[in-house]
Amino acid sequence: MNFNFKHEWVETNVGLMAVLTMLAISVGGLVEIAPLFLIDKTVEKVEGVRPYTPLEQRGRDIYMREGCYTCHSQMIRPFRDEKLRYGHYSLAAESQYDHPFQWGSKRTGPDLARVGGKYSNEWHVQHLVAPRSMVEVSVMPNYPWLLTNRLDISDIELRMKALRKVGVPYSLSQAEYDANVAKFGETVAHQLHIPDARKNLVEQANFGNYDGDHSGISEMDALVAYLQVLGTMVDFSKYSDDAFVDVR
Amino acid sequence: MEWLSWFSRPENTKPLALIIFFVTFIGILIYVYGSRKRGQKLESYRDIPFLDDQDANKDKQ
Amino acid sequence: MATDTHSGAEPAEQYNFDIVKKFAVMSLVWAVVGMSVGVWIASELAWPFLNFDSPYFSFGRFRPVHTSAVIFGFGGSALFATSYYVVQRTCQARLFPDGLASFTFWGWQTVIVLAAVSYVLGYTQAREYAEMEWPIDILIEAVWVSYLIVFVGTIMRRKQPHIYVANWFYLGFILATALLHTFNNLAMPIDLFSMKSYSLFAGTQDAMTQWWYGHNAVGFFLTAAFLGMMYYFVPKHAGRPIYSYRLSIVHFWALCFMYMWVGGHHLHWTALPDWTSSLAAAFSILLLMPSWGGMINGIMTLSGAWDKLRTDPIMRFMIVALSFYGMSTFEGPMMSLKEVNALSHYTDWTVGHVHSGALGWVAMISFGSLYHMMPRLWNTRMWSPRMVEWHFWLATIGIVLYIVAMWISGITQGLMWRSFDEFGNLQYSFAESVAKMMPFYAMRAIGGMFFLTGAAMMALNMFMTIRQGQRENAAAVAGKLAHA
Repeated sequence: MNFNFKHEWVETNVGLMAVLTMLAISVGGLVEIAPLFLIDKTVEKVEGVRPYTPLEQRGRDIYMREGCYTCHSQMIRPFRDEKLRYGHYSLAAESQYDHPFQWGSKRTGPDLARVGGKYSNEWHVQHLVAPRSMVEVSVMPNYPWLLTNRLDISDIELRMKALRKVGVPYSLSQAEYDANVAKFGETVAHQLHIPDARKNLVEQANFGNYDGDHSGISEMDALVAYLQVLGTMVDFSKYSDDAFVDVR
Repeated sequence: MEWLSWFSRPENTKPLALIIFFVTFIGILIYVYGSRKRGQKLESYRDIPFLDDQDANKDKQ
Repeated sequence: MATDTHSGAEPAEQYNFDIVKKFAVMSLVWAVVGMSVGVWIASELAWPFLNFDSPYFSFGRFRPVHTSAVIFGFGGSALFATSYYVVQRTCQARLFPDGLASFTFWGWQTVIVLAAVSYVLGYTQAREYAEMEWPIDILIEAVWVSYLIVFVGTIMRRKQPHIYVANWFYLGFILATALLHTFNNLAMPIDLFSMKSYSLFAGTQDAMTQWWYGHNAVGFFLTAAFLGMMYYFVPKHAGRPIYSYRLSIVHFWALCFMYMWVGGHHLHWTALPDWTSSLAAAFSILLLMPSWGGMINGIMTLSGAWDKLRTDPIMRFMIVALSFYGMSTFEGPMMSLKEVNALSHYTDWTVGHVHSGALGWVAMISFGSLYHMMPRLWNTRMWSPRMVEWHFWLATIGIVLYIVAMWISGITQGLMWRSFDEFGNLQYSFAESVAKMMPFYAMRAIGGMFFLTGAAMMALNMFMTIRQGQRENAAAVAGKLAHA
């Protein structure tokens, strides 16, 4: 301490104090967050993960709108009980197109990361409209309006374009479409093409008939379509049990 | 930017963080508690919250 | 009486107390509103019919109304009020500039109202504690930069060469919040005329950014800033200087440096790379040191005047706040250990932990500080000291009920989820664990009601105090005029 530093310099100079404080508070974030964007290993390479179809994405929007994340997680941890209850632990790759992530922090209700395919569409509709008719002790709110609200599809292109800008590979041009065909195959690439978004959405909703009602596309259609795809993209039978251990 | 990946290895980052933290922390401790004279000076600032009472008190008396 | 008023009238011109009064009153309003919503949503979990099949009051949309109203409405307004009060009094300078300070008031109140209304209508970023959509985020940014200008501007006008430690903590809080808010809310609006936006980041990176924000909202908004409050109001109310100024220097720098590392402990055992969350856990443990340093500094300020605890309920608010600060800063590092976290994460234990900090520390130190500050602002005494006493006991009992309920339910949940029967199958279905929670959810709601009742009492008491102050001052002015 020969250079005769005085803490009083800091205590009497608000500019110096602000600069030093900024310095002190910046280190932690820089060291922990910056590498996550730079390291390839952060997100595993697995087959099957794709962006959501227009209908599923609208379902995801409704999932967020209703605040489902306040009671449901979408992140299975690598424990034996969670594997038995929910399935294979979640991979970073599985949420790589999730803007924002919906891992959640609380399980007032069960984890939903792999709820897709576990229950029938009819079960979901009934359960969302009146949870206690399916699970007597449930504390989940009723969501009757999902069935009566028609799904707003007027801004689906805008939504997909915004997601495209933040990095989701939805295609606008033929070149982008071709790249998606190479990456995801033709069926998926077709769903990711923004100019066809509205047509695709209507087709998927009519074909899937998620809410059991053919008269129109309800918000229920979208939400159930989203729930039914959760956790189903990766085929884990193709990977050995410890295929992902080194990245965890 | 490749060098940043060095930080991603816990065997590097943990000791590094520990060293940074400890050196700074010990430095602050030595500075703050190392000298009695400096200590007294630093402690004199404790009374600042009470300085603005003096005028008011004078008025009251 | 006349001389009393005289001494109070002078600082009123010297300082801008008008803005402090406005924020102080609003912090009480938001306390009652935010805690009422809290009690409601807690009751929804115990008695789900309270969701009323209405989109607007369903738990998922209503919960962010609670968190925003108490954190940003009540806590934020209390911080604006006390920081403007403390910075003026310790710098012996008037707030700079008045107009901008006024903008921070109206801007901030608008933010809270817009946030609450937009959540209920379904506009949300779906990021915990940062649910506000992008137009509101921009308004926050504007208010926050103004806040920084007012705060630093006032410090630069100071008559006292030295900047008192309370102001460092407030400054650290303002800077850190600006940084966190900016980076966590980077999003792409779908259209300039739409409230909807999508986060710039995805998946793992998004999760880390959000919890870097989320935990430091706790670390700086709910801790550093309230420590600033503590460093002024505890010594001031006790009539004794802070125990150790040197300890406060160590406390400040260690806290600023270390808090920013710990967010990753919210993501243990997730798809976040292991090195990040382990590093976060290591720093969480280290953080115990500065936290307890600060607690000791606050509590020891009272050494030699312990008798005040028996006679002075306001002092008791402050000391209980510091005790809860110590308790939750011990519980936190413990829960950040990966082994403990494996049990506690996703359960009510986390909720209990947050509330032991939020009710025990944040709310109690704010109540104590406001009880000290507000009668002085209106130049009078508390209308009913007995109600202050009642408030203290209601609040304390409420917190204890709340925390105990959440400990039991959290640990029960965690244990039920991971228990196996003799054949190695899961012993309980998820629904069975939900059924077990019912009595504890009810107990938690009742604890919340206690706490809310206390806060409502305080609001009433303060309302009467302000009226009393206004009457006294009017009478004094009239007396003076008659004299002349």
